[in-house]
Amino acid sequence: MSSPKKIVLLGHFGVGKTSLMKRFIDDTFSEDYKVTLGVQIQKKVVELKNTKKVSLIIWDVEGNTTVKNARLSYLLGSNGFIYVFDATRIDTFIDINEEIEFLKENYPKAKIKVIGNKLDLVSKQSLIDILALKEIDYDCLSSAKTGENVNKMFRDLAQDLQS
Amino acid sequence: MEQKDKLKLLKEILLTEDRVFAQSITKKIEALNSVLNTKDQLSKKVDPIIKDNLDDFVKEIPKTLGPTITKTLKEEIKNSQDAVVEALYPIMGKMIKKYIQNEMKMLSERINKQLQSSFSIKSWKRKFKSKVSGVSEEDIIMSDLIKPEIEQIFIIDKDSGILSGNYSKKETIDKDLISGMLTAIKSFVEDAFSAGNQDLESIEYELYNIHIQNFHFYYIAVVISGAYNQTYKNNLENKLLDFSEHITKDHVEEKDLSTELEKYFKNE
Repeated sequence: MSSPKKIVLLGHFGVGKTSLMKRFIDDTFSEDYKVTLGVQIQKKVVELKNTKKVSLIIWDVEGNTTVKNARLSYLLGSNGFIYVFDATRIDTFIDINEEIEFLKENYPKAKIKVIGNKLDLVSKQSLIDILALKEIDYDCLSSAKTGENVNKMFRDLAQDLQS
Repeated sequence: MEQKDKLKLLKEILLTEDRVFAQSITKKIEALNSVLNTKDQLSKKVDPIIKDNLDDFVKEIPKTLGPTITKTLKEEIKNSQDAVVEALYPIMGKMIKKYIQNEMKMLSERINKQLQSSFSIKSWKRKFKSKVSGVSEEDIIMSDLIKPEIEQIFIIDKDSGILSGNYSKKETIDKDLISGMLTAIKSFVEDAFSAGNQDLESIEYELYNIHIQNFHFYYIAVVISGAYNQTYKNNLENKLLDFSEHITKDHVEEKDLSTELEKYFKNE
């Protein structure tokens, strides 16, 4: 097994970072919203396409309206970031391109995935249209509630970290 | 048909339906009377309702009466502290006494065991040490019994919190999570009380101490049981500095240092 990889979940408050992590780690979902204070750390071993295994150490940090306000010491040494936005709240993705630029500038070695969560609450096509209209780059749309694209997104990132 | 018969017929036509209805009502009232006045029958009907209500009541107690009971208890304890102490004292006293007795018994057994092995090399060494230092043999035994011991060591990347090596005498919960959480706690404390570049150096919890030694790219966390004192801390710091001379940044990022740790600290 290759050395563990640190992944940090970023995004505004209430976009579903913790729910995505719970869905990926335990395959569970809860409607109850409990705000994350500080950080929660979880681990999962993922088998890659070449049957190699990689251990993902996932840091679910408290939400912030901008990455610049996040506790930067939690972000140090990250191998990858997952920037999560809420598909139902435009304020959580309107500035996303700038946020990603900030991450690329400050953490040039880290791989970044942008994910739109809560797909179960919106029409997929209208969301795609809005994102295209606002010229927002994203990697995939998911739902922690139904589990759609959650495993795929974490596995894709794990795969990227090995390449 | 005579007038009288006609009237009778008309009465029958008009009142038969009412009479049947009245009779059915009478029967129902009688049945109800019987249920109400016969204990067995009444209890068959009423018991399930009472049971359901009681169940609901029991379920609701913590919600409805819980806060009131807690408040009342608190007030009662506050207002009658002497009475509470009087009631609890014998129970608590017995518990503490039993605990101390047990601990003393275990300690005395351990001392006896040490003293009984009077012909061992260890014992001769102790006697010699006692003569030279002037410290009684019993005191040396006592200090040996509470001697600090390394339980676990973690080498952790300072930035990412990723574990680079671990040595543990016992099975522990996920070591990767421990190193992640230690790093998060360390980062939080260092940020929260930011006064220049200062590092968290130790964490204490009940019977254990976590000694944290910071290096440039990594830190080493050592979990110690027993009496962790300044002399032991100084020796440990020197030992960790010696060990760190063989460690480079590449080692921490790419190599599993567990074997090196075990070789170096197995006998500590």
